[in-house]
Amino acid sequence: MATNEGPNERIDPADDLRRGETWGLRWRTGFDRWMGLLLPLLFAVAILPIADLVYFISAKAVPTLSWHVVTSYSDYQAHDTLGVPLMTTFLFMALATSIAVVLGLFGGIAAAEFLPERAAGWVRMSANLLAGMPSVIVGYFGYFAFVLYFGWGLSFIAGVFTLAFFMTPYVYRTADLAFSSIPRPIREAAYGSGAKPVQYILRVGAPIAFPQILTGVFLAMAIGVGETAPIILTTQPGLLVPSTVFQPAVFMTYLIWTGFSQPAGSVALTLAYQAAFFIIVVVLALNIVVRVVAGRFRKRLQGLYQ
Amino acid sequence: MSGVLPASNGSVLSIQGLSVSSKDRTILDRIDLDFGPRSLTAVVGPSGCGKTTLVRTLNRMVELTPGLSVEGSVLYLGQDIYESGIDPVLVRRRIGMVFQRPTVFPMSVFENAAFGLRLIHESEEEIDRAVREALTRSGLWDEVKGDLNRSAFSLSGGQQQRLCIARALAVRPKVLLLDEPTSALDPAATQRIEATMQRLKEEIVLVLVTHNVGQAARVSDRVAFLHSGRLIEVGPTADILERPRNPLTVQFITGRFE
Repeated sequence: MATNEGPNERIDPADDLRRGETWGLRWRTGFDRWMGLLLPLLFAVAILPIADLVYFISAKAVPTLSWHVVTSYSDYQAHDTLGVPLMTTFLFMALATSIAVVLGLFGGIAAAEFLPERAAGWVRMSANLLAGMPSVIVGYFGYFAFVLYFGWGLSFIAGVFTLAFFMTPYVYRTADLAFSSIPRPIREAAYGSGAKPVQYILRVGAPIAFPQILTGVFLAMAIGVGETAPIILTTQPGLLVPSTVFQPAVFMTYLIWTGFSQPAGSVALTLAYQAAFFIIVVVLALNIVVRVVAGRFRKRLQGLYQ
Repeated sequence: MSGVLPASNGSVLSIQGLSVSSKDRTILDRIDLDFGPRSLTAVVGPSGCGKTTLVRTLNRMVELTPGLSVEGSVLYLGQDIYESGIDPVLVRRRIGMVFQRPTVFPMSVFENAAFGLRLIHESEEEIDRAVREALTRSGLWDEVKGDLNRSAFSLSGGQQQRLCIARALAVRPKVLLLDEPTSALDPAATQRIEATMQRLKEEIVLVLVTHNVGQAARVSDRVAFLHSGRLIEVGPTADILERPRNPLTVQFITGRFE
């Protein structure tokens, strides 16, 4: 017979593909199988409390809501309505976001495009420091800077600026990252075509960086809308929509902060549930919108030089 | 200074005693090189010899790399582009550049080609005319004329590179720098770019960086051989490739480097 390597013939040990079938291989495949089952379970453990919370809050809040409750701009404590807190929170967020976007965007673009390496490093470090700062510290900063030093008092505007300072590093970090991660050849091609720095940023950089920056802005809003400390330390809760920026104004989270310990059936507790419900809705909506919008923009950038 | 400045020796671009160094090493060492009108000079040499840096000094792109210092001068029609009072933006509009891999922007084919013209706020009719002209000169017009509004990302790599050439040509530069423009492309696309270069060298000054001796032989009039930051030899393509004088050049073209 010719040399025929049948299944029982001896073969070169290096060609024996079953020699790895040992305890180690069995353990590896077993581990893999069990982890495949365990991870969904762990995910359920993480998601269930959140789902339960959302359900609990919604069940308490939704039956008490009506068109009248959310649109009546009368004194919210006397009439058990949510129009004033909704409107003032919207104003807080709109102004604070605008300020944070301007500061964060300029800072991010400066660090990514204009500042020398070392200066950019300092800016990055201080932004990270600010982002890691507990909100109550930022609140105290706002209290000393805006309320006392600038003499604005416990007012709407002091709260707006404090909240904006709290949100700025989140916008800054994504703007910096978005502009720094634009492929170098794209940047050089723009300059090589005779673009001035501002022209490069507006015509080439901005369209590429936009989806990421948008994500950062929405993330900052989602974090800001749930903050309590920067506002309660700098703004006195007002019962009506302020007519000047130096008047008191109420922020949604204040209703939760004061209402959660009140007896069942009280106006304050109802308001707390309603406020919590709206914050959850806003945060969920921001997350969904950012995914949809950023995803659409990202699709347009597919094929960009990597 | 204003008015037309006559070039000192009939060359459009002239490198004089140019050295580039980073903190710890010399990248280019006292280079002298002239580029006459309607010519294609191939700058060849092994990897890391400084050829890319050399072309990047010709339109001040080298300044975008922090930590490099440039000495000596580069004269464009007799004006030193490194002199104070010279706007690098204007330099780059006269001396265009194409890079190793296609760098199209996330916009339509038309807007990519119109990019440089929009920067200088040309009128719509002028932009339209110049874009057609540039796409024709770069050899892309017949392939894209049907739909100029499609995304530039929908083009193939070779088409994207010719679009980048068109983008550089649209502002009608006198000099076009090509930094290994075909290194990321397949042979068919490379051949089309080479044909484009051969047409363009009848019109403007081309400076081509390449590590491919065959490409230099096919398209260039003149070869400059660079080694370790020094200009070893420069002369008509046939002379350098067939009768090199310097042993380093011999080693390079017979493939004993890289």
